[in-house]
Amino acid sequence: MTPAQNGKDQATGAVATAAPLLVLKKLDKRFGGTHALKAVDLAFETGEIHAIVGENGAGKSTLIKLLTGVYPRTSGEVFWEGKPVALATPHEAIALGINAVHQEVVLCPHLSVAANLFLGDEKVRYGLLEHGAMVRAGQKILDDIGFHLPAAALLSTLTIGQQQLVATARAATRGTRFLIFDEPTAYLTRSEATQLFALIQRLRANGVTIVYISHRMEEVFQLADRVSVLRDGQLVGTQKVSETNEKALITLMINRAIEQVHYKESVPFGNEILRTEKLSGKGFQDISIRVREGEVIGLYGLIGAGRSEFVQSLFGRFPKTGGQIFWDGKPVEIRREKHAISRGIALVPESRRDQGLCLNLGVGLNLNLPIYHRLSKVSVINPFAETAAADKQIRDVQIKTASRDTLASSLSGGNQQKIVLGKWLNHGAKLFIFDEPTTGVDVGTKAEIYKLLAQLLKAGAGVILISSYLPEVYDLSDSLHVFRRGRLVATHDSAHQSEKALHETILTQALGV
Amino acid sequence: MSVQAPDEARQMAATKKRAQFSALLGLTLVALLALMWILLAFSTRAFWTYGNISNLMRQGTVVAILAIGETFVIITAGIDLSVGAVVGFSTVIIALLLGSGVPVPLAILITLLGGLVIGAFHGFGITKLGLPPFIMTLATLTAIPNIGFLITNGATIQIQNDAFSSFSTGDFLGVPNLFWMVIVVAIPAYILLHHSRYGRYLFAVGSNREAARLSGVNTVGIVYMAYMVSGLCAAFAGVLTSIRLTSGSAIHGQGLELEAIASSVIGGASLFGAIGSVHGPLLGSFILTTISNGANLMHVNSFWQKIITGGLIIVIVYFDGIRRKKR
Repeated sequence: MTPAQNGKDQATGAVATAAPLLVLKKLDKRFGGTHALKAVDLAFETGEIHAIVGENGAGKSTLIKLLTGVYPRTSGEVFWEGKPVALATPHEAIALGINAVHQEVVLCPHLSVAANLFLGDEKVRYGLLEHGAMVRAGQKILDDIGFHLPAAALLSTLTIGQQQLVATARAATRGTRFLIFDEPTAYLTRSEATQLFALIQRLRANGVTIVYISHRMEEVFQLADRVSVLRDGQLVGTQKVSETNEKALITLMINRAIEQVHYKESVPFGNEILRTEKLSGKGFQDISIRVREGEVIGLYGLIGAGRSEFVQSLFGRFPKTGGQIFWDGKPVEIRREKHAISRGIALVPESRRDQGLCLNLGVGLNLNLPIYHRLSKVSVINPFAETAAADKQIRDVQIKTASRDTLASSLSGGNQQKIVLGKWLNHGAKLFIFDEPTTGVDVGTKAEIYKLLAQLLKAGAGVILISSYLPEVYDLSDSLHVFRRGRLVATHDSAHQSEKALHETILTQALGV
Repeated sequence: MSVQAPDEARQMAATKKRAQFSALLGLTLVALLALMWILLAFSTRAFWTYGNISNLMRQGTVVAILAIGETFVIITAGIDLSVGAVVGFSTVIIALLLGSGVPVPLAILITLLGGLVIGAFHGFGITKLGLPPFIMTLATLTAIPNIGFLITNGATIQIQNDAFSSFSTGDFLGVPNLFWMVIVVAIPAYILLHHSRYGRYLFAVGSNREAARLSGVNTVGIVYMAYMVSGLCAAFAGVLTSIRLTSGSAIHGQGLELEAIASSVIGGASLFGAIGSVHGPLLGSFILTTISNGANLMHVNSFWQKIITGGLIIVIVYFDGIRRKKR
């Protein structure tokens, strides 16, 4: 069987003749008062890559959870190879051959890679586990699908990207016929993403149906045969990828035209806020950078290149081992987070759920957390000042929330990110460190986060931006520093070259090829 | 904008519902307590008498105070198993101090200081040595009573002090002195938990310690505070116990930690942290006290009392969990 037979041509061209593998009819899901999915009609062909796009809260996650049997549906029907199925439990979905690779890794970090691959399906002889055999078989699986990973290693010793690949390998090798990817490349390096794409193409060639959910449009156009757009729980369109374009999809997703997704307003630079001279620490060496008021400094590099370690040391996480930090032109010591915070450095962390938010507490409390000392006298809180500060920030940052007492967990991802930003606006920080600010954030919210960024710059703040998403760092930064193996290997000021040429240069520098 | 409007209305309604639920939990506990009192008043004549009600208030005091302190710890997603042991230890300390002629106010002060030191030690073990709260306080639960026994050679020390014994039986404005002590603890605890920034930090630490730390909260200090509040409450409960029993022995207060935790949880605190109040454990502890008081009056076998209590904990917390999920 050649890929051409069973690949793109059949999936997109011969839709009418082949019976679809999975058909949804008027699939509907309500959570109490929330109508999460509204009468979705959709057919997935055998061996197609079907992308699903939509803003956060559009119903993508709900759809995945219905297909994998995590939630029962409220109404509607699902047909698998023409036969109605209940899909009431995850077990039933897996038995049919429906698997999912989730955005967050759901594996056991304390077990080996091989043990995770065989979890729930262990090789057993005389009631005892066959560890050796599983490691050998696991290694063979990984080698076969082209992932360069050690099967005997503990999962927790791998990077998040590598763990994601293990999860993919696990899902791809269990008699899967229908495989759902939810933002699979969010934590992957470029080469890991390439390995993943190769696997996806191969799975399709073998007749596996792929559902691919991503905010990254270029991936959708690179991989998918067809794309469906969800908006507010409704299916607003399914198109062949060859018959649409990025702009049209985005317009469908948000129901309003977006002029430009990455935009930046130029703000005249003011005084220097922070400067490092030959700063060294765990994972980075001799880094000299400078941030001025109104300036965005982009840090780009592969995962493990030392960017994160560098900014964590600016934030007092890992004290420096050499070099000097200057704040306002004066040498300073930043040995703890509170030194950084009291000077006016804010870290907007990569994982807002783990590091940025108190999810089961109110929006207002989250917003006010860094400034309670200002809202209280002799430690007793002035309730009027507290509510006023929270409401002002909700208005200023345009957080969509019913009230300041709404739990942060009930907000969409983008609005949660706005809380994380809003609390530092409240605090009046001068230097903002953004660590992957738009991971897992939809287009509309992304634009709003960029708008906030512009707002910060106009107010005279400086920004250090870390992103693995090159177009983002590239478009937003006034100057771009490339990290490789703990060192600063290149610095680019505003783009003079054509965009594509510079992209290639930067990538070459980051990869060191 | 037009798409947004119904969303907002829906969220608004959800928030209102949530506020109602929260009020409902408080109300259901009050209702449960009231229902128990009404049933008892009708089934036994001895219950609804001034003597018995003030007795019930006295009986409930110690657990109520322990439960308030315990709730501070539980909000940080921790647990303090040592509070019963600290009660016994404190009775020994104060009995010794009074026996050697130390004036009452100073003796109380020193005993309370002892509670603070034990709490700080817990904070040290948890934040600096990295021990899980369960293990750290299990260790002190094991050790502290035996320090008490070593000091007294296993004996019980009688307290000969008239001011002491008259305090425990006396009342003020018709309310037993001991119950006033609950109010003396509850009001500052309420202000600390619900109206001070340290209270907000406590919830933040219990919800997400990392996020709190990145927001500039001194999370280590907050954990210390929680265990020191619990230690202080336990020492104060110890002082009150020594007053009630006019004796000091490390055996006093044995097992009270479980009643304190149960009161806190019945009162709506979540062992996963970030949920809890001051009025919750108060209601919880008096529900438990009412069960044992009522059961005694009705001559229910004491084994049955404990079985009923256990069952009730499961039922109350189960329904509370359902209510939370519905949010």
